Amino acid sequence: MFIARSEYDRGINTFSPEGRLFQVEYSLEAIKLGSTAIGVATGYGVVIGVEKRVTSPLLEASSVEKIVEIDRHLGCAMSGLQADARSMIEHARVEAQNHRFHYGEPLRVESTTQAICDLALRFGEGADGEESIMSRPFGVALLIAGCDEDGPQLYHAEPSGTFYRYDAKAIGSGSEGAQAELQNEYHSSLTLPEAESLVLKTLKQVMEEKLDSKNVQLASVTKEKGFRIYSDDEMQEVVSRLN
Amino acid sequence: MASSYMLPYAQQAPPSYAHPTEASQPRQHHWSPYTENGGVILGIAGKDYVILAGDTRSSEGYNINTRTARKVFSVGSGLILGVVGMSADGEELARKVTRKIDDYKRNHDKHITVSAAAVMLSRILYQKRFFPYYCQPLLGGLDENGVGAIYTYDYVGSFEREQSRAFGSAAALITPFLDNQINLKNQFVPGSNGEQPKQAGDLPRATVEKIVKDAFTSAVERQIEVGDGLQLVTITRAPPRTEEEADDDDWTGAAISVELSPLKKD
Amino acid sequence: MDALVSKYAAEPELDIAEEDDDEVGTGLPQSVSFTLPPIDHPAKFLRAMTDDHANPSAPIKLKHGTTTLAFKFRGGVIVCTDSRATQGSWIASQTVKKVIEINPYLLGTMAGGAADCQYWLTYLGMECRLHQLRHKRLISVAAASKILANLVYSYKGMGLSMGTMLTGVGHGGVFGLYYVDSDGNRVEGNLFCVGSGATFAYGVLDRGYQWELTDEEALELGRRSILAATHRDAYSGGYINLYHIKEDGWVHHGFNDTNPIFWKQKLEKGEFQNVSTTLDA
Repeated sequence: MFIARSEYDRGINTFSPEGRLFQVEYSLEAIKLGSTAIGVATGYGVVIGVEKRVTSPLLEASSVEKIVEIDRHLGCAMSGLQADARSMIEHARVEAQNHRFHYGEPLRVESTTQAICDLALRFGEGADGEESIMSRPFGVALLIAGCDEDGPQLYHAEPSGTFYRYDAKAIGSGSEGAQAELQNEYHSSLTLPEAESLVLKTLKQVMEEKLDSKNVQLASVTKEKGFRIYSDDEMQEVVSRLN
Repeated sequence: MASSYMLPYAQQAPPSYAHPTEASQPRQHHWSPYTENGGVILGIAGKDYVILAGDTRSSEGYNINTRTARKVFSVGSGLILGVVGMSADGEELARKVTRKIDDYKRNHDKHITVSAAAVMLSRILYQKRFFPYYCQPLLGGLDENGVGAIYTYDYVGSFEREQSRAFGSAAALITPFLDNQINLKNQFVPGSNGEQPKQAGDLPRATVEKIVKDAFTSAVERQIEVGDGLQLVTITRAPPRTEEEADDDDWTGAAISVELSPLKKD
Repeated sequence: MDALVSKYAAEPELDIAEEDDDEVGTGLPQSVSFTLPPIDHPAKFLRAMTDDHANPSAPIKLKHGTTTLAFKFRGGVIVCTDSRATQGSWIASQTVKKVIEINPYLLGTMAGGAADCQYWLTYLGMECRLHQLRHKRLISVAAASKILANLVYSYKGMGLSMGTMLTGVGHGGVFGLYYVDSDGNRVEGNLFCVGSGATFAYGVLDRGYQWELTDEEALELGRRSILAATHRDAYSGGYINLYHIKEDGWVHHGFNDTNPIFWKQKLEKGEFQNVSTTLDA
């Protein structure tokens, strides 16, 4: 198997005879090495949570940033190569602000996801007149949470440039177990606190470390308050609710 | 040369060159990309309707080019655009707005709102800040609450939402009439000793239609560039969706109707 | 030869745009690009077409004329403007919002070309928001005004017309007030008046200004200064638009017709004695 691949798995612009783009597929593997991130959409808002992987007691936990704001109504959790995520998020922020500038209104969640996925495909040599910004596919997957006139929504965007909308989705190293758990536990009438608990409970099951309020991070996007990262006190409250 | 900087640009001496011979001097050809085609447009927003009207004369100086020129265009997603000034620039602008409203629908899978289209039009105009469109646009539509909205622009994109506005060669004739009839400027409640101003209320559509027609017939009396016909475009709220229309992506909640009526042709 | 050299040497930064989509890139971070007329000297063309002062018969008359003021005092910053826009002697609008709400912490005033101010201050708002997202804190007014000054400076000589006061509260609750114009000036100060009625406003404002004003006194001083300008400057008038910037952002204090304010000022406070209430005086 690996021998058959080796001829085609170096070029990012070459299909294998079986019709596969190995480098893109490998980029999906990079995400499976990443920390777990989970998103749950409810009628009241979307909750996203990540495991922080605080690998050393000397590491400043607050500097591990795996949930970021894209705009007031948009947040994003990541798994995979963080440096790659930064340029995607910068792109998303600029697109969201550009839309506000040109139309005086917030960018829709799906359009934001679409904009991110447009960037995901801009690797390689670059077409005529189009600037290429990456020599390889991005090694990061994003969970994009947002609220617009269609209500709270959760999207998953991959390095391959495909995206889907989910009620609940897990990405990263623990995603398989977590996704199964979400499938069992999710129902459409979840409240926001229930979603918070579901995210943490699922993270707890797949994390190697013991979950505490320092090594996980939650955020929510609601219609009223927009994107909000939970403070230390709020994290403590949700974690204590779990036990 | 010393005093020439005081003169307007057109009268300034040409810059001196090392060999000021006839042949080496650059000749400044008069390049004038703009034509004034006259005409007037008028927009009024009501509580559940918008009226945008324009005359149908298009002239160049004292020559009338056509008596059937449209100045109000449907630009998609239930919005209308009136343009006056140079008809070529106006029509180009209307085409561009139509195309971008269509793009918006494809990209975002919904109809653009009038407020978003208003910002968009401002940016389109400003993109030509250094080579402006020679036309003044009025954008009309129903807002998210179904209330009539008129957005008014200058040539390079400064904009404002207003209740009523006239643009074009008879704007100076029509605007004071609108101030008086629509906005009730400087009118007071009888018996209040000039202390309680009359409040401009919601005028019924039939009344406003009469005011619009009066404005145009009066303008025709005193402005040579206005006349021939009146194109009166109205947006009203569409009746509630029928079951067949439930999945119709073209349904906008707005109904646009056009009425053409004659104006004096001399 | 010289003609040839000058032809290619003049304004080398400008490309010639041939078609709608051939726009000159500006090196700006966003996809902002502008169409230029297909001629050697676009700025001269623009001046001939739009500058109604040098050329009264210019076909395109942009909106002009204004009085705007802003001053810092103990309680923050007061911003006050009139609302009239004129195209030559025609009053194009009496309801212009000359205070542009960039975000809840920043205001910009509008003098000169209305579109230039609206466009670039909104653009600045986008840059400030991106700054906030990237650095997780509010931009300082000093930095914001520098972004704006650099932006308009890159278009120097091309015909932008803008005289704005950028003011607000930045990171750490620091108030800032900067005058920025399209020539490239950027000046910090405690007190500015801009526009055709500025001298009249300065007269009243300088007379009454002191750092220790109370909020009410400061608001009244701003209002009174604009009133003086609307009274003496024919290019100013309409409504008085008043804002107060406090540590947690700006507060709007109304958009009020000048006419009743004038008469109130005259009849209740005995000012404007030069104006008689009857025609025979």
